[in-house]
Amino acid sequence: MDKKIPKIKREKVPERDNDVSNSSSLSVSGPTIPQRPYKLAHQILSLTGINLQTKSVIGFVELTLLPQKEFRQVFLNAKQCRIYKITLNDNLELQFQYFDPTQEICSDSSTKSLEVFTPAHQEAVSSTDPDANLGELIIRIPSEAQHLMTEGRSLRIGIEFSLEQPAGGLHFVVPPGEGTLAERCAHMFSYGWENSARLWFPCIDSFSEVCTWKLEFTVDASMTAVSCGDLTEVVYTQDLRRKTFHYVLSMPTAAPNIGLAVGPFEILVDPYMQELTHFCLPPLMPFLRSTARYVHETFEFYEELLGTRYPYSFCKTVYVDVASKDCSSFSTLSIMNMELLQSTPYLEQTYTSRNVISIAVAEQFYTCFLSRQGWNDAWLTQGISSYLSGLHMKKLFGNNEYRHWIHQELDEVIKYEEEVGGIILDASKPPGSAVPTSGGGQQPIRSPDSFHFWPHSAHTVTPRHARIMRKKAHLVLRMLELRIGQPLLIQVFNKQLSLAVQASQQKCQANQWGAMLISTATFAKAIFTVTGKDIGVFVDTWVRQGGHARFQLSFVFNRKRNTVELEIRQDAASGAQPARGLRRYVGPLVVALQELDGTFRHTLQIESSVAKNDLTCHSKSRRNKKKKIPLCTGEEVDMDLSAMDADSPVLWIRLDPDMSLLRAVEIAQPDYQWQYQLRHERDVTAQMEAVTALERFATPATRLALTDIIENENCFYKVRCDAAFCLAKVANGMVSSWAGPPAMLMIFRKLFGSFSCQHIVRQNNFANFQHYFLQKTIPVAMAQLRNALGVCPQEVLRFLLDLFKYNDNTKNRLSDCWYRGALIEALGNTASPVVAVVAQSASALTPESVTKETHQVLEEVARALNLEKLLPTYKFAVTVGCLRTIRKLQKCGQLPSKSDLFKSYAQYGQFHDVRVAALEALVELVKADSRMADWEFLLDIIESDPEPRIRHELLIMLASNPPFERGRGSRLDTIPVMDRLWKLMNTELSHDAMLRNDIVDLYNCLYGRRKPPCLSGAMYQRVAEAPPTALESAEIPGLTHRDSLSHMDMEVSVPGSGFGEDGMSVASVEVVAGITKEVLVQQTVTDTESTTLDIGGFSDTSQSLPGLGVDILKKLKRKKEKKKHKHKHKHKHHREKKEKEKADKDRQKEDVTALSSESSGPPSPDMGLTF
Amino acid sequence: MTTVVSEAVMPGVASRRKLLQASVSCLCSEAGFSAVDEISLETLTEMMQSFITELGHSSHLYCELSGRVEPVVGDVVMALVSMGVKHSSLESYAQRGRRLVLPTPTQAVATKQIGILQTGQKRPHPSHIPDHLPAFPDSHAYVQTPTHKQPITDYETIREKASCQKRDVERALTRFVAKTGETQSFFLVEDLTHYPLIACKPMEKPFLAALLPRDQTFEEDEAAVHMQKQEEANAEAIKAAKLDQEKENNELMDNLGPNGSLMEMSNSEPFIMENPFIRPVKMPLTKKKSSP
Repeated sequence: MDKKIPKIKREKVPERDNDVSNSSSLSVSGPTIPQRPYKLAHQILSLTGINLQTKSVIGFVELTLLPQKEFRQVFLNAKQCRIYKITLNDNLELQFQYFDPTQEICSDSSTKSLEVFTPAHQEAVSSTDPDANLGELIIRIPSEAQHLMTEGRSLRIGIEFSLEQPAGGLHFVVPPGEGTLAERCAHMFSYGWENSARLWFPCIDSFSEVCTWKLEFTVDASMTAVSCGDLTEVVYTQDLRRKTFHYVLSMPTAAPNIGLAVGPFEILVDPYMQELTHFCLPPLMPFLRSTARYVHETFEFYEELLGTRYPYSFCKTVYVDVASKDCSSFSTLSIMNMELLQSTPYLEQTYTSRNVISIAVAEQFYTCFLSRQGWNDAWLTQGISSYLSGLHMKKLFGNNEYRHWIHQELDEVIKYEEEVGGIILDASKPPGSAVPTSGGGQQPIRSPDSFHFWPHSAHTVTPRHARIMRKKAHLVLRMLELRIGQPLLIQVFNKQLSLAVQASQQKCQANQWGAMLISTATFAKAIFTVTGKDIGVFVDTWVRQGGHARFQLSFVFNRKRNTVELEIRQDAASGAQPARGLRRYVGPLVVALQELDGTFRHTLQIESSVAKNDLTCHSKSRRNKKKKIPLCTGEEVDMDLSAMDADSPVLWIRLDPDMSLLRAVEIAQPDYQWQYQLRHERDVTAQMEAVTALERFATPATRLALTDIIENENCFYKVRCDAAFCLAKVANGMVSSWAGPPAMLMIFRKLFGSFSCQHIVRQNNFANFQHYFLQKTIPVAMAQLRNALGVCPQEVLRFLLDLFKYNDNTKNRLSDCWYRGALIEALGNTASPVVAVVAQSASALTPESVTKETHQVLEEVARALNLEKLLPTYKFAVTVGCLRTIRKLQKCGQLPSKSDLFKSYAQYGQFHDVRVAALEALVELVKADSRMADWEFLLDIIESDPEPRIRHELLIMLASNPPFERGRGSRLDTIPVMDRLWKLMNTELSHDAMLRNDIVDLYNCLYGRRKPPCLSGAMYQRVAEAPPTALESAEIPGLTHRDSLSHMDMEVSVPGSGFGEDGMSVASVEVVAGITKEVLVQQTVTDTESTTLDIGGFSDTSQSLPGLGVDILKKLKRKKEKKKHKHKHKHKHHREKKEKEKADKDRQKEDVTALSSESSGPPSPDMGLTF
Repeated sequence: MTTVVSEAVMPGVASRRKLLQASVSCLCSEAGFSAVDEISLETLTEMMQSFITELGHSSHLYCELSGRVEPVVGDVVMALVSMGVKHSSLESYAQRGRRLVLPTPTQAVATKQIGILQTGQKRPHPSHIPDHLPAFPDSHAYVQTPTHKQPITDYETIREKASCQKRDVERALTRFVAKTGETQSFFLVEDLTHYPLIACKPMEKPFLAALLPRDQTFEEDEAAVHMQKQEEANAEAIKAAKLDQEKENNELMDNLGPNGSLMEMSNSEPFIMENPFIRPVKMPLTKKKSSP
């Protein structure tokens, strides 16, 4: 039955067309890549045995090929599949070869370095790259079948295959428990990283190979199979126990855009738009209803904007549990994360949900319908869909939100590029000679060596890189919009879409399907035809090269000539060795000067790394006239001009105010100018920048400006929230001169206090959503206040506890779960490190020993956490806050840093957000305490957690906060650990490119690109031998100590909070150097098992660290020195009686514990000097 | 001689009956009796009473019959006649010689009502109530007397009290659950006295707990309700289709034998819907295809 329909189709296939010049088979990667000698016209995918219980799938695919010329081999992509049989035209069985080089990237694992891994990975991936007409599955066409293709008729290749417990590609969610699968909400869905359709069916797994589809899925009668295309019919099987869903996708679609979800879904037909159907698991129907309410608006927005109808006849959204991404877009099908479901009381979720939905719908147009040529063109589909969704967001949430978002994206891109390297969006071609930047110096941006991975393939790029790349693509498109204008850009999109719609209606033979693919070249051409503008230079500058510009602006006002003498420097980007991710910018640059007479924009031409310009001011200084000052928006405002320089008419200066370049800007201007900018500039990005800059100026004037902004109802709420945090920092900066009640207390009372008694917070009413955010943020910011002793003022703590006490949400239409979560987090912020010189061991911290303040905080946290078990809030928002707070208290040494609490919340079976919060805490714990058991717990999750998303997020957390530093000889840095990671990266994750590349990132953080230090063995060798000279040298601690101290000072002074750990790990290093050695000696003697021995003992020392200043440290130093000498004698003693070593081990361990020091120090004093 | 019960029932009855009894006793002594049993006297009194009652009743009826209000001698005579009593000798009987005369009964002294403690002012009757009706009872019987303190309406205190109550309930509940189940602790030593935490256990479907919060119930918002209404129509259609389908399935189970009939049934499907997902499931195309 399954094969019936294809048979009919096959007869329809007419004469082939010999024209090969079709761009669809043209690979952009270069002329050397062989073209496919055939074209894919149609594909049947039939999964007959989808079994949720055994997590297996039995299936059949049939590819209809149109030969262009003779060929002997067909390359297909397939992974994890067991292939039973391959036939040609149903009757001839074909021989095939299956080889997946990504299963083991490096066969030689002697070095285990990324240096070796990355090229091998690149080679493995490109050796099966479908864009290069390669694949894992090689099918030989025997000579006796050659005549079939010379006739020019279509060939059908049928493949029978099965998947058993696939590790990737398909995700099965089968909750344990009673009842049938449908009652237990068991479901499955496809997911993957970029083009990963090969993980669940054999295909040509490329975005550039489109064809029409027939899809059939046979599932249990209680289930619904949702897939791409139009559902033509649903038919019961003979035994009436199962049914088959038949889908037809007549729009040519690439294999990676095929998706599937199977489950006992509830069906919701959109009442506003019949073409839309939504699916979710049965109990969540009310949430689906309110979430689905605005999906149709999104469609209407895009249709209107693009002037194009939605190209498909149906669209489906399915909400599933723990999808690997928030949303995976397939043709006509979006598989969304269930966590996006929301209803009106949970309004805060709307921002995220609507954003994701809007991207999902935009991706239906760009990515699914208009596919791309290769990875180098991915920036277009990603960028355009992000850009479109950005426009939608702008309409929904307003221009402020939009600009704020753009500003954020820009910051993220800049941060990433400066950390990792410049992102090249399209590396297929070097930038043309027309690039004006080539004058200055060699631009090293193009060298991919700057990355620890291969950035030019979807399967080797790290997810973080891909995420930032998407943002960058979006920014570049927005820049393009600024250059050619939005209407014209939209017109280009419209043209592309309408051409594609036309092409899609043609048959495969017409060779028109190429119009459904976009590439950098076709995009530039389309822009040229529509607008007449050549964007070659733009593409060369921003697309074909990586990096961004960084400007430093300083200025002097020249009173005599009434000019502003500007100096714009790009120091970091110039010179022979530009800083990472930076590039010198040459070209026009806008400077906006706010003067007394209004805003004046000057366009400067930047030609070298130091540009000096004199801008003539338009206004004389004439502030006595008391005239209103016009702003860039045209409105005129009164300003208090007393603060400014009496001579200068300049109020503030902005550089590139429209964010029309990828740039970082550092503007040096005096504090009063920042204050004017904060108060009066209307652009939120300028306000945010001013807030950031004002942190440095802790003065009463800053305080006043920030207070005014927080109170200003006309100001964008995010600016107000940021100003609150900034004010907390400013207040801490001027703690000695601060007068009056703690900062923001009065503001909060004024805004949220009851009418009759201001000290009691009003009953919650979140109808004004901006107030809601403010109410949520101010307590958190206030908790960061510190008095002169460095602890949170009593008054603030009482204020916070009162907020808990009087919190009353009964009259509110919205839920207060996030508010309560934020309050709990605020309690955590009040904690400050315990000032105790005596190192308290973990056992010394008992419930009786806590201070009164901590007791109050703990009471509150315990109550909230317990209540959440009985009456859970939406997404366990309160639990998440509690976990973070507990960790903060641990960090400050007010709780013993124990991990089992977090472990229980991190395990499988908890809600995703809770797990993430617990894992965050564990990652910090591992870094701070270096306990092997915790580290192994995390490694176990990485290796075997059932949820790929958690593994991914954990890896990202670990990479951004690595548990140990490279080559510091941490006790976590062991060979077994490295082996586990290497094994995962090298062999075990062939089914999940995303996770594999996450591990590449982590591996790079932990071991660098070279051979991992722990493997080099030198260090361990030396320790094992323990040469007496090494011990002797440790006895002269003078130099070492000085070094460590100066280092410590630095560590302590730099980070404001959480310096506890950093400081301590360093502080203890030197002091314990001698001991460490000893411990390590034992380790090597008694084998690795002893590693765990000494771990259990000293755990929680780090939290009780004095991180306060040199004086205390010096005291500590003296103290520890004494101890150390004592210990040294012991050690000698040990050496003399080596045979007794084992017997004494326990005692020694006690010694170590008593000293309460970490053994994470360097194994030898020589290493200690390298700080 | 009267019973206590009758006295309690009606105060005038006792003295009347006393007189009646006396006159019966007189008649008895006239008739020559020197003593009488208590029971006999009672019976005779009873007879006498019923006779007089009957006589009075009948005379009254006769008087009313003749349109009068007050009976006259004639009425009494008529009554006697109708009762079958000869009245001709009545006059002579009344004039008999040895007639005993009963003394005139003395006026009974009215018993004083026992004074009830009176509190407050009794309310006078409103104008529409006649004075003869009983007076209002004491005011305390119906007027609410404030016997407690003034309730506190102070906003601050109310908030304080409400929040305290809420927290106490929450704390008691969580403590109870914590003490009766597994716990965790912030500290290294497990103890139940300080901050017991309810142990965190893996859930079967954590997403349901997270997405169906129970901390507060909200009114369903209007838009969602509206959407639901719109959708209900669809749902009904689906249900109908499903019912039909089931019916058909049952029939199908019965009729699995003849192939042709099944084909017809699936062809005559009346439901053609907009959305393919709510279309009913089709029946398989039978064994016809599979057999040859």
